[in-house]
Amino acid sequence: MEIDRDHGRSPSQLRPLSCSRNVLHRAHGSASWSQGETKVLAAVYGPKAGTKKNENPEKACIEVIWKPKTGQIGKLEREYEMILKRTLQSICILTLNPNTTTSIIVQVVNDDGALLVCAINAACAALVDAGIPMKHLAVAICCCLAESGYVILDPTKLEELKMRGFAYLVFPNSVLSVLPEGSSLVEGEPMENGIITSVTHGVMSVEEYLKCLERGRAASAKLSDFLRRSLQSQLSNDSSKAA
Amino acid sequence: MDSKPSGSPATFVDHLVVPGDLVVDLSSMTNQTIKLGGGLRQDCDAISVMKAGKLRFSKPNKYWVETSQKRYVPCVEDTILGIVVDSKADNFLIDIKGPALAFLPVLAFEGGTRRNIPKFEVGTLLYVRVVKANPGMNPELSCTDASGKAAEFGALKDGYMFECSTGLSRMLLSSPTCPVLDALGKKLSFEIAVGLNGRVWVNANSPSTVIIVANAIMNSESLSGVQQKIMAEKLLQKIQVNS
Repeated sequence: MEIDRDHGRSPSQLRPLSCSRNVLHRAHGSASWSQGETKVLAAVYGPKAGTKKNENPEKACIEVIWKPKTGQIGKLEREYEMILKRTLQSICILTLNPNTTTSIIVQVVNDDGALLVCAINAACAALVDAGIPMKHLAVAICCCLAESGYVILDPTKLEELKMRGFAYLVFPNSVLSVLPEGSSLVEGEPMENGIITSVTHGVMSVEEYLKCLERGRAASAKLSDFLRRSLQSQLSNDSSKAA
Repeated sequence: MDSKPSGSPATFVDHLVVPGDLVVDLSSMTNQTIKLGGGLRQDCDAISVMKAGKLRFSKPNKYWVETSQKRYVPCVEDTILGIVVDSKADNFLIDIKGPALAFLPVLAFEGGTRRNIPKFEVGTLLYVRVVKANPGMNPELSCTDASGKAAEFGALKDGYMFECSTGLSRMLLSSPTCPVLDALGKKLSFEIAVGLNGRVWVNANSPSTVIIVANAIMNSESLSGVQQKIMAEKLLQKIQVNS
């Protein structure tokens, strides 16, 4: 019982990814990230002096501004801003630059499904480009639950309409480590099995959620490899002169 | 990539690392002191990376991550170029491209007393040294070297200042002299001041020389050593043909 997808994709196959950094001239860090037809541009400004009202001045503050493709920002975009902000707050080291604000501007270039995860991936790459201190990277993945209970990954806009449940999952990237195998486990599990953010929409049972989690985790390894490769290839271009 | 987990820190030296990578295992190197530079932090028994870049190691025990950014984070003993924004009774306020304005005490000059306070107009370019850079405080600058002598510090008159990335300014200051400056210096005479905060000031007898030098430096950002040399030599040949 296979589920049919456009372009003959298998249920857990991601659309082609592409990432480029330092695309904007004036921003302190920027990145564009695309998954298939979905494309998001993220720009980072900062750290800038001072934090906003109601923020803890002993820590760095992260501000996310969502720019939709057209029109004004509504409730959904506000929710996205909030999710992005919370996610980025947990991967950045906030104590290093107290009383500063880092602004992340997310511009949607094209929305063809899995927009939020695309934005999270773009923002993460842009933060790396700006040199904001981070604990680790994050990779986001969108899992969908079809009527028949099948889990598919990275849906397009058309597929999203047919689904009954969504889970947006953000995982830490898989890290390279000098430590001997198994010593970096957190409570018996490797680091990259942790969850940074989990947002769900629609109805799904616990088993179905766990199934999403498992599929998402498997795909996150691929994503995190891609992120590392694309960061490294662009870094080596920058620093080839140092060699 | 050879990412075999092994105990020796040499595994990652001169490799590109991304945030989250654990590069040094402290449990295997007891009774050793190691010094950490930018982009690294201690995470329990390991040293983890927080910025993407090339991991560097210098004997006997220094580790750091080489990065390039458009924004500067002040660090003690860096020599930088600052611009006067305001002058107060006790301090000049200096823009250093960092998150906060820096203070330059009016007495931090050679033989500085209350009687002879230097006068700087807003917009003056200064070559200064960072003496204090604590998180949460405005950084403090000085126009003297550690022994209280004026050395080369102070206002930079005339000339032309342009901004670049911190990586480029570090390359310009590297020893042996970076190829582009070496090649230019053989044919032209000019004065240059490089600030680690990504500002470069150039002065020469004729404006055309200033422009040539500034353009050559800006173009050398993405070039390797040999390419820089070729680029600079081509540029110099053109001038000789024209003149």
